[in-house]
Amino acid sequence: MSPRNRILGYVRGAMSSRPRLPHPGRFDGRYLAGDDRLPVERFAEMFSASGGEVERFADLEQASDWLSAFTRDFESATVGATVPGVLRPRLPSSCPDLAPLAVSAAAGGVAETGSLVLDARDGRRTQLLAPTHVVFVYEGDIHATLVSAMVTLRPNLPSAVGLHSGPSKSADIGQILVRGVHGPGRILAAVIGAPEGP
Amino acid sequence: MTDAYRPGGYAAASERIIRDEPTMRTAVTGAARSKDERRQAAWAQIDADAWRDWARDLKSHVLTHLDRYLEEAEDRLVQNGVHVHWAETAEEACRVVARIAEAHDARRIVKAKSMLTEEVGLNTHLEALGLDVRETDLGEFIIQLLGEPPSHIVGPSLHRSLDDCRRLFHERFGTPLDASPEALAATARQVLRDDFLQADLGVSGANFLVAETGTIALIENEGNIRISTSIPKVHVALVGIEKIVPKLEDLAGMIQLTARSATGQPIGNYTSLIQGPRRPGERDGPDEVHVVFVDNGRTGLLADEHAWEVLRCVRCGACLNICPVYRQTGGHAYGWAYSGPIGAILAPGILGLEESMPLPFASSLCGACADVCPVRIPIPELLVYWRERAAEEGLVPRTDAMAMKAWATLAEHPELFGAAAGALGAVPLKRVGRMLPVLRGWVEEREAPVASRKRFLDNRSTKEEGT
Repeated sequence: MSPRNRILGYVRGAMSSRPRLPHPGRFDGRYLAGDDRLPVERFAEMFSASGGEVERFADLEQASDWLSAFTRDFESATVGATVPGVLRPRLPSSCPDLAPLAVSAAAGGVAETGSLVLDARDGRRTQLLAPTHVVFVYEGDIHATLVSAMVTLRPNLPSAVGLHSGPSKSADIGQILVRGVHGPGRILAAVIGAPEGP
Repeated sequence: MTDAYRPGGYAAASERIIRDEPTMRTAVTGAARSKDERRQAAWAQIDADAWRDWARDLKSHVLTHLDRYLEEAEDRLVQNGVHVHWAETAEEACRVVARIAEAHDARRIVKAKSMLTEEVGLNTHLEALGLDVRETDLGEFIIQLLGEPPSHIVGPSLHRSLDDCRRLFHERFGTPLDASPEALAATARQVLRDDFLQADLGVSGANFLVAETGTIALIENEGNIRISTSIPKVHVALVGIEKIVPKLEDLAGMIQLTARSATGQPIGNYTSLIQGPRRPGERDGPDEVHVVFVDNGRTGLLADEHAWEVLRCVRCGACLNICPVYRQTGGHAYGWAYSGPIGAILAPGILGLEESMPLPFASSLCGACADVCPVRIPIPELLVYWRERAAEEGLVPRTDAMAMKAWATLAEHPELFGAAAGALGAVPLKRVGRMLPVLRGWVEEREAPVASRKRFLDNRSTKEEGT
């Protein structure tokens, strides 16, 4: 008998005289204090609290102007595959492991956890290897809860999704917090107002 | 470490650590306290009872439908293009990974932090085959350089101080002895970045695996897990069979609950949701993904009508952080991968009860662990359960069993009890206690109180007469 069938056999044997307990229903994750803010406001607070930076723009044009100013200090960049032309920095392109700056487009955000939803189709190395990471996200794509984001992701899941909720950090050296251990030590969420993303 | 690294060495190891390594005790207690404070602050924001009830019920539902969910997960993983393997034992799990490495002619392996790989001894197995295995979590990297096992489920190097790390990095990488933590981290980043880019294989564990989508979910803060599972051409995930959750919505709850318990965060700064290998049109990602479902004693625990509840564990480490016994020694004294209260009730299922002795006794039964467990595992009850099993199986010293029997006889016979209590007043407790089993350990460390010559019951009757 294969290990698979033996293991499943043991599991069924264990269950033979045990009541099968019900599913408790969908997680509703209640908080003690109510929060009637817009998802984008809560996202900004949560993302900042974990060490991320947040910039907000009314439209694509404003975001593009900010990017031009921000990228002035960088020599080159790696850019995600789904970043629209207007948000691509006017810098020489470099491979992700050498680039000082990465620019990605998020598939969405999550307010309650302060997370950016990063899709593998945008390019994983770009999301992970540069010391500074700018991520564009549309305000309308920010979900109030992680459950809501998961439900939206489900029909069109890529090979991998990364929820990035702050800079790379560790306290493994003497319990002292340091940033930029493996991933970007600086991450900026650049939130663009209505209209919603495609 | 000079003591045998196995649970049987617990008494000697804990004694030595407390006596000879005061800095370890200071580091562990400080880190555990600080982790617990962050957990308390995070849980104060939420409806804690509702979250814990939901998580207990979800995990209990999964465990009582595990056959169905394992099959559903396997079907979905295969549809996603993932290779699925099953390993009944630790040795089998190691052999599966070794075979995958061999099939790809892999020489360099990067590892994301995984307690399951510690449990099955994967590094030792792969290194014996001549493979270059590199731990990439900063804490795991530190203890790998030191040749030590992890001392905590979440913070494997929390027993090591900044000065320990400075000395280590100075010896291995030539950094100055007064280097800042940032400089040490930057050195590790540089060393490990090369390893990431040259690795043939990435090995991870899994915090959860979603049955409906075949999603491997991994929680972390450094980014090394995302990188280990994104850059090498092959990714192998070792998954304990109890790690399944039914749906993505369930995962959303469990991810947040685990992060709040483990590090006091609303979520880890990186959460990976991996569905399979790189797809057409994607720039990067592994060409092959393998999942190894590992039993290694879990089905035995599942079959036990009491002990099965331990399988709800999400490995957050909250019970270690709060445990007054763990705080004295850190994890090494426990002699295997999982330490603290959860380690003491997992060990009998995974290692066997005899090999686990005396871990079920390494607790004061204060109950703090049960108060903080996010999935409501009745840890003290399970400790007592394994103690009873150990007594039944003749695994406790005969002298202890005799002493307990003598105590039971006294407690059941009031006249004998009265006579013994009366005699106690006349006995030099410390001197006599040293000669007696059970009491010996107690009186060695403490000043024995002077017993009253008058019984409590006599006091009561005097009072009653007076009123």
